[in-house]
Order: sequence, then structure tokens, then C-alpha cells
Amino acid sequence: MTTITIQVNGKQLATEPDKTILEVCRANDIEILTMCHLKGVMDVGACRLCLVEIEGINKLLSACTTKVAANMVIRTDTERIKKYQRITTELFFAERNHVCSVCVANGKCELQQLGYKVGMDHIRYPFLYPKCELDSSHAWYVIDHNRCIMCTRCVRVCNEVEGAHNWDVMNRGTQVRVISDFNSPWGESVTCTSCGKCVHACPTGAIWPKAIVQGQLEKKPGIINELVEKRKMKL
Amino acid sequence: MSLLDIDERILEVAKLADIVKCPVVDGKELPEVDITLVEGAVTSDEHLEEILHIRKQSKILVALGDCAVMTNVTGMRNYFELDDCLNTAYKTAISNDGQGEMPASPFVMHLNQKVVPLQEVVHVDHVIPGCPPDANTIFYVLSELLNNRIPDLSDVKKLHYG
Repeated sequence: MTTITIQVNGKQLATEPDKTILEVCRANDIEILTMCHLKGVMDVGACRLCLVEIEGINKLLSACTTKVAANMVIRTDTERIKKYQRITTELFFAERNHVCSVCVANGKCELQQLGYKVGMDHIRYPFLYPKCELDSSHAWYVIDHNRCIMCTRCVRVCNEVEGAHNWDVMNRGTQVRVISDFNSPWGESVTCTSCGKCVHACPTGAIWPKAIVQGQLEKKPGIINELVEKRKMKL
Repeated sequence: MSLLDIDERILEVAKLADIVKCPVVDGKELPEVDITLVEGAVTSDEHLEEILHIRKQSKILVALGDCAVMTNVTGMRNYFELDDCLNTAYKTAISNDGQGEMPASPFVMHLNQKVVPLQEVVHVDHVIPGCPPDANTIFYVLSELLNNRIPDLSDVKKLHYG
């Protein structure tokens, strides 16, 4: 097995090639903020929170989709990156209707935690207040597009792990929405197996079980990777 | 009212500051003051007038709570047309038993089309988010301001929304 050396925040790290910057950093206890990354499913670099500076490259690259290369010099902690992380977080809040105090995920929400981590005390951008639907047609679960941040974790887990591909994405820009089948009510879906993986994959209170009331939602995103790893085991 | 959540520490605040006006206590005109804590978002013409006056009278303006900082629940009507909201509340809602009437008194404030947070209409010096805002954060910000220091919420990890 070949080993390469990279430098992260001035620290030399030995690693295998073919790994992403995010994987190497997480393995070495270097914190990188993420929202769309979910261990067990493919990375898409959608949230732009894991941006890192790489010497010799002008633009910032997402750590989750960039592979390490020998002698790469990476910085994850510069003022520039912190500035962009704060901006990205504020735009998440401004884009849709996140009202923490009435949300099922209040206190256990990854978006809330992200806000605390980047030190977001207020939002500098005007709120868009888009009109978003809430679909409670499914027998057990609800999807509230007001709280969706378009990380597409539900889309990927449904496609890659469950193999159902109930979820997909339609439109662009502020009109972008996660849809069930061909934009039909979730309860009428012919592909949904009601497995509940999207519920656990969702980082916010956008998808939740009906039996849950305000602030009581417990999500276990770790079970997705557990499942993926267990399937690889040879019996 | 969240100010009272700081419990007996309000005595320490009282040592350093005089509380000259509070809407629950009295209705006197706001004199020129050093610090004003403002709760709630701007939803009507009356609120707008009030916040502009407060800004003029205060050296430091602190937005207290999620409503003042990011409109929170009060902003949930922004997804709808104002007329639809009023009609539902006063007329068409089932609880009105079909007898509801729109309030038409000239003394009733006029709601703005959209609810906005304080920072969209005036300069806000400091914010304390939270619903309700955390008592420790309120006390931290107040004691820093009263001792002529600048509070830094990102540093104390006292952030809290919802």
C-alpha cells in the first residue's frame, strides 16, 4: 500500500491516496463543518461548508469531493474560510422558513448546531419567506419544505441505500424542491417503501415521524453507515 | 419579561443601572438612555414609529429574543398575504362562528404587509437570540455593556435559538 504525505494546517499527515480531504481530516481529528455529507452515501459537495484552501489553487475546493494528492498543502482554519462558513450558514437560515421555536428538531438540529459553531448571532441577509408546502399525506412521516436546506441526503440515501429512489430534486435556484416520485403527494408514492431512512438522514426538522411533537425528534444519521458497512460483511 | 429570568442577578444589574422604562411597569415617555433592550419584531406602523423613537433616544440598542433578531413566529405570516391572514383570524376561522368582524377602529394599529426584524429598519448594536433568550446570555451581555465592555456571543458559546 502506498502512503503519501500531505500538510493540513501546518501539520504533516501520512495517508493513503484515493481518500478525500474530508476523510483524512476527520480521521486526524481536524474539524471540518459539513451539512450535506453523510457517511455511507456518495458525496456531492452541495452545502459548500467544507471548503478548504489548497496551495496553488486559486478557488476554494470542497473537502468532501476533493481527493488528497501527494504533498498537498491544505488549510481549513483561515479567516477567509470562516467568513464563508458564516455566510453560508446565514443563507441557509434566510433562504427558507426556519422557526426553531416551533420545530420538531429544536435542540437536536444539525443546522442549529452549525449556527452555534460558526458563531451566528443574527442573520445579515433579508429573509426570503418563500411559500413552501408541507406534505403529511404519508401514513407515518411528514415532509416540511420550509425546513429543508437541500442537502439531498434523503435523495441519496433513498437511491443508494434503500434502492427505492422515491426522492428527487426539481427546479433550480429558490424554486428548488425535493419531490416524491414525479412531484406527487408522498402518500401516493409507488416507490416509497416507508423504510424511514430519509427521516434519519435529514439533518433538520424537514422530515419527521408523525408521532413526534415539538423538540422531541431524535435522529440517528449514524445508522445509515452502520447499515452500509454491515451489508459489506461476508457471512 | 425574559429579563426577569436572570433571577437575583437583577440586583447586580440594578446596582449599575436605573431601569427607567419598561412597558409592563409604566407608560412614561422614553427619556434619553444608555441601553435599551427591545423585544419583538416590527409588524405595524406603530411599532415602526416606536423603534425609530427608541433608536433616537438610546446610545446602545440591544435586540432581545428571536422575534427581534429574526422575526421567529411573528414572521410566519410573511408567507401569506396580509388580507388572507386578517380574514382568517377575524372572519373565516371556524372559531368565529361566522359572526366575525374586521376591527375598524382608527385607534387600532395598521399591520405592515411584511414583518421585519429590527435590524432591517434601524441600526442594532447587539443581539441576544433565543426563544426564550437564555438568562445567562442576557446577564452576560448586560454586565459586559454596563462595565463598558463589548459582549462577544461567538466567544462565550452562549448562542441559542429556539
